[in-house]
Amino acid sequence: MSPLTSLLLTPFLGALLIAIVPGNYRVVHRALALFTGLLMLLQALVIFAGFQGGGTGLQFEQFAEWIPSVGLNYHVGVDGLNVGLVLMAAIVSFAAICAAWEVERQVKLFYLLLLLTTGGAIGAFISLDLFFLYFFNELALVPTFLMIGIWGRGEQRNYATFQITLYLTLGALVALTGLIALYVTSGVNTLDVVALKAVLAEKPLAESAQKLIFPLLLLGFGTLVGLWPFHSWAAPGYAAAPTPTAMMHAGVLKKVGLYVLIRVAWPFMPVGVQEWLPALALLCLGNILYCGWVAMRQRDLALLLGNSSLAHMGFCFLGLASLSVVGITGVVLIMAAHGLLAALSFALNGYLHTRCGTTDMDKLGGLLRQMPFIGTAIVMAFMAGCGLPGFANFPGELSVMFGAWKTLPWFVVAAAWGGLVIGGVYMLRAIRAVVHGPAKADFNHVGDANYWRRLPFLVLLAALIWFGIRPDSLATSIQPVVAEIVKSAAPTQPTPAPAAVAATH
Amino acid sequence: MDVHAAHNAVTAAAPAFSSRPEDIAWFILLLPLLAAAGITLIVRRSNFLAATFSIAATVTAFVLSFVLFLMFGVGDAAAVTSPFAWLHAGELAVNLGVTVDKLSTLMLLVVTGVSALVQVYSVGYMHGDRSFPRFFIGLSLFTFSMLGIVLADNFVMMFLFWELVGVSSWLLIGFWYEKESAADAAKKAFLTNRLGDFGFLLGIIIIWAAAGTVNFAELSQKLGAHPDLLGSLASVAGLLVFMGAMGKSAQFPLHVWLPDAMEGPTPVSALIHAATMVAAGVYMLCRVFFLYQVETAWPAALAFFGSISALDIIGGIGAFTALLAALMAIQQNDIKRILAYSTLSQLGYMVMAVGCGGPDAAMYHLTTHAGFKALLFLGAGSVIHACHHEQDIWKMGGLRKLMPKTFLTFALGTAALAGLPPLSGFYSKDAVLLAALDNGHPVLFGLGVLIAAMTTFYMLRLVLVAFLGSGRSEAAGHAHESPGAMTWPLVILAVPSVMLAWVPLGDYLTHHFFTDHGHVHGHGSEVISFGATISAAFGLVNHILFEPFNHAPLPAFLGTGALIIGAWIAVTLYWNAERDPLPKLLGSFARGMRNRFYFDEIYEAIFIPLHDLVARLADWFDRWVVGGLAVRGAHGSTELLGRALRIVQSGNLQTYTFFFVAGVALVVLIALK
Amino acid sequence: MSLTPGLHHFLVVSALLFSLGLLGVLARRNLLVIYMGLELMLNAANLALVAFSRFNANLNGQVMVFFIITVAAAEVAVGLALIVALYRKRQSAHVEDLTSLKL
Repeated sequence: MSPLTSLLLTPFLGALLIAIVPGNYRVVHRALALFTGLLMLLQALVIFAGFQGGGTGLQFEQFAEWIPSVGLNYHVGVDGLNVGLVLMAAIVSFAAICAAWEVERQVKLFYLLLLLTTGGAIGAFISLDLFFLYFFNELALVPTFLMIGIWGRGEQRNYATFQITLYLTLGALVALTGLIALYVTSGVNTLDVVALKAVLAEKPLAESAQKLIFPLLLLGFGTLVGLWPFHSWAAPGYAAAPTPTAMMHAGVLKKVGLYVLIRVAWPFMPVGVQEWLPALALLCLGNILYCGWVAMRQRDLALLLGNSSLAHMGFCFLGLASLSVVGITGVVLIMAAHGLLAALSFALNGYLHTRCGTTDMDKLGGLLRQMPFIGTAIVMAFMAGCGLPGFANFPGELSVMFGAWKTLPWFVVAAAWGGLVIGGVYMLRAIRAVVHGPAKADFNHVGDANYWRRLPFLVLLAALIWFGIRPDSLATSIQPVVAEIVKSAAPTQPTPAPAAVAATH
Repeated sequence: MDVHAAHNAVTAAAPAFSSRPEDIAWFILLLPLLAAAGITLIVRRSNFLAATFSIAATVTAFVLSFVLFLMFGVGDAAAVTSPFAWLHAGELAVNLGVTVDKLSTLMLLVVTGVSALVQVYSVGYMHGDRSFPRFFIGLSLFTFSMLGIVLADNFVMMFLFWELVGVSSWLLIGFWYEKESAADAAKKAFLTNRLGDFGFLLGIIIIWAAAGTVNFAELSQKLGAHPDLLGSLASVAGLLVFMGAMGKSAQFPLHVWLPDAMEGPTPVSALIHAATMVAAGVYMLCRVFFLYQVETAWPAALAFFGSISALDIIGGIGAFTALLAALMAIQQNDIKRILAYSTLSQLGYMVMAVGCGGPDAAMYHLTTHAGFKALLFLGAGSVIHACHHEQDIWKMGGLRKLMPKTFLTFALGTAALAGLPPLSGFYSKDAVLLAALDNGHPVLFGLGVLIAAMTTFYMLRLVLVAFLGSGRSEAAGHAHESPGAMTWPLVILAVPSVMLAWVPLGDYLTHHFFTDHGHVHGHGSEVISFGATISAAFGLVNHILFEPFNHAPLPAFLGTGALIIGAWIAVTLYWNAERDPLPKLLGSFARGMRNRFYFDEIYEAIFIPLHDLVARLADWFDRWVVGGLAVRGAHGSTELLGRALRIVQSGNLQTYTFFFVAGVALVVLIALK
Repeated sequence: MSLTPGLHHFLVVSALLFSLGLLGVLARRNLLVIYMGLELMLNAANLALVAFSRFNANLNGQVMVFFIITVAAAEVAVGLALIVALYRKRQSAHVEDLTSLKL
């Protein structure tokens, strides 16, 4: 059995065990969930460490026939594209399970749903059959809606739940239409990515089909990511969600959409990409600039973080639109980095909400004195959020801007403005409003996180810093796969210039 | 031979470490980081250990820097670098490497030296602060970031540490974050710097896109071989990179953060103003000076610049900043703010030197300035400490007798800054003026002389008002000399302020910048090695001391003349003055100077609201058009449809059955037809 | 004209039975009577199936009838149980009283 399968099974087995234990043994549920999370993290670390970077082949692959007549098979494996994402998903899952300690109501059900979400997220990243990928993504999304509805907070909770459910379901539906159309038009009788790749390399999709299917996938999966103007579910949704849910969704689930776009839409539909690239480039400005500006005006920390997360997604779309190895490698780096960062930010936001009772920045202030650890973590997370070197986001955003310059120079100017200046403004304002300034009497009772509560923050920070200092630990694996994808997405693009090759030595 | 001797000395001195210079450089870079990490993780609760860690690391770094300086600075060892892979993605290859050459070793000495002294001083100054260890974490991080800029061997690594300097300055300026003004100043400094970084990053991207590398050595080589490599964007790229320096070195129009940064503790001001941060901009310009030696080329949209090169613009901005800041300094009353504007003005001087094609002069001035400006700031800190945090010079007075050590060192620093021969400031200022004159910038030369006079004027005003005369407030009357931890750094810093120029620093830098390109430039054509200096000390000192007057008498004499005029006016106006006579003499112009020519007000009235307005519009659009019209509209129309269909839903089982049967009947009917 | 009943006779009877059952379902208010109407409709279908089976010389229809009878028996058990449960809860088996599906 591939280690991937055991990694995938872990959360479901954990959920099963939790389901068996009666509802009043809270401690057992918490311990079981925590143990499951730890086990997932360890397995993911083993997989990441055992992964041999530098090639394009799949590793830890496992294939089992399921319904051969319609070509549905259980097929999992990792290559450079998703190995880092799997690790990121496992880290975030662990941190989310730790953060779920704050949940007090219906603990059993919450852990059950949370583990289902984590299992779904892992499954979506490792599945190579698009049916399973889609299935696992939905499996992760549905508990998300329930968690927001049942354990959510704030007056807007119901509206936010409706909005996020409808948006994401509709987006998923559009995406599913695209996948089915791909299944039908390719005529291969399978949704296996590897098989599709082999066949489509010989016999590409008809141009008209590409032009039709590509926007379905782009808009469908784009909605799941928060592509402007289908973004308005994100900020209120995250503000209403319970902390672990926001961490899982903003951190991990959002990346599935991007992952599918890179895995399927770009390599299989080069004509569609060319056709829709200008539109995508314009929409990504909507994310980078517009959502950044909107973030500047927010007085609620959760809404600010939600909009900032959308702005980061704009960098991903810009990188995708660049259609260059540098840019798309940067996208994958951002995906991993932003997963960690978003989880960290929402964990901190949740901590503030539980302890201070509000995330309204006008009411908060001077918290560095009361909670030095959390305050420092907030400073680090927000600094990482505005692209500070030393954290994982920086190399990703840097590569995206470098990669996009040749084809989209003015967009890079806008992106640099959005990332460095607008990002700086809202993040610094948030730090100034939340942790700086005179201490407020309202929060005198508020305590810092004790050692055990620090764990999720420390894990996420450590990962952020590690990937910030050693981006090559991801990039060397990502790059060959991306190079292949770019080659099939833009067959006319020349291979890297000899000058650049020389520079690498 | 020198190299070998030095090399042997190194192996003897530091047997535990590898003696490869690049390894030593890495070690120097990482020492402050290790100290910061060590304090954070291990000794956070102990003031004594925190200070010890931090100071020990910086002093060690200084000693090692000196070793490197002996190896590279004095000998003619070639620059070395040792890259390790950081980020590789497609055509983008970024390695982190250190460059060890004459320029970086000199700068290492400056940074570690000033930083070490500032840290020793801080033990006294910050005594009793509740966040004492945090302060040393900040100082160590700051030193680390700055060393990273100094040693960086490529643009991306420099940008990386560039940002880290920004964030460490933010940490330190906002050290007393509970004070609103400090927190605001920190934010302002960071964001203003971000504006500069925006341009810097774009410049880096343009250069990479054209040349395919970000490595300095490779770029320099490629640009040397193909001066037109950057195409029509050559000058734009140069200016964009300069934008980074504009932010860090606080050049007009991004100068507004620097005076506000005085909200930080005084040692931080000393560090920022002398050796780190503001020096980073000038250092970077010198490091990438090859970028400005390419052919001037403008894209079609900017063709009206014609033959004006990027360097000309840089020189103009530098001179303008220097003039503006000197004018502002004349009417400030806060002792730290006077020094802040003085820094601004001197930075403008350095940037002007770069713009005139004299990076050697700029670095020369940077080095000497680091010494005496650190001295002045620490002296000011000592005064503030003694006067119970009174910073208004008109509430001081008569401190000369109460704080003799501080007064003496402060006076020496002032004299050096004013450019009194034979103190260090005179020679470096002379080098800057000479660079302007030699490279055909007579206007800038004239401005330089004018600014020199103004510098003397405002510095003497400060000394006359604060130290001489009689005490004008109770606090000043009860002032007392500061503890040893604070006065010793002053004494130590006084030494380079006086004597730094007596070693052939100018020639050393000229050699670094211009021998590679085949033409030796400026005064002092032959390179004098360190060993030779010592062996023939007296003769050479004699030679060096009077060198400017012999070699290029015009700038030397004009500079001295400016000094005398400035001093004369200052003494006339401020000797035993009880209040400032200038506002009466100059009227509204003085008010403008005092209010910094309203730049902050203009920015706050125009640019910030403009950006906020856009944000407000976006937010409005998001709330009402996307969130309201689109989302709520879709929601509303769906709900309306639902309400219409709800009438049908009576809840009566048999009505439903009737509809059901009728439906079936209809289908059957259609099917049978 | 032969007196042997043809297929259409059976079908007419079946249709009559079905209509009567449907009328009962639509018009009566008592759940038990509605339920009897339902049974009537089921048996009308059974009759039609048997008739078709007989006239087409094909046993499939009769097999189907057995299934229907079995399932109908099970359904009656469940349905009556539901009605009894409803009656216990609401003290009524009239459809006018059972409108909680309405918003």
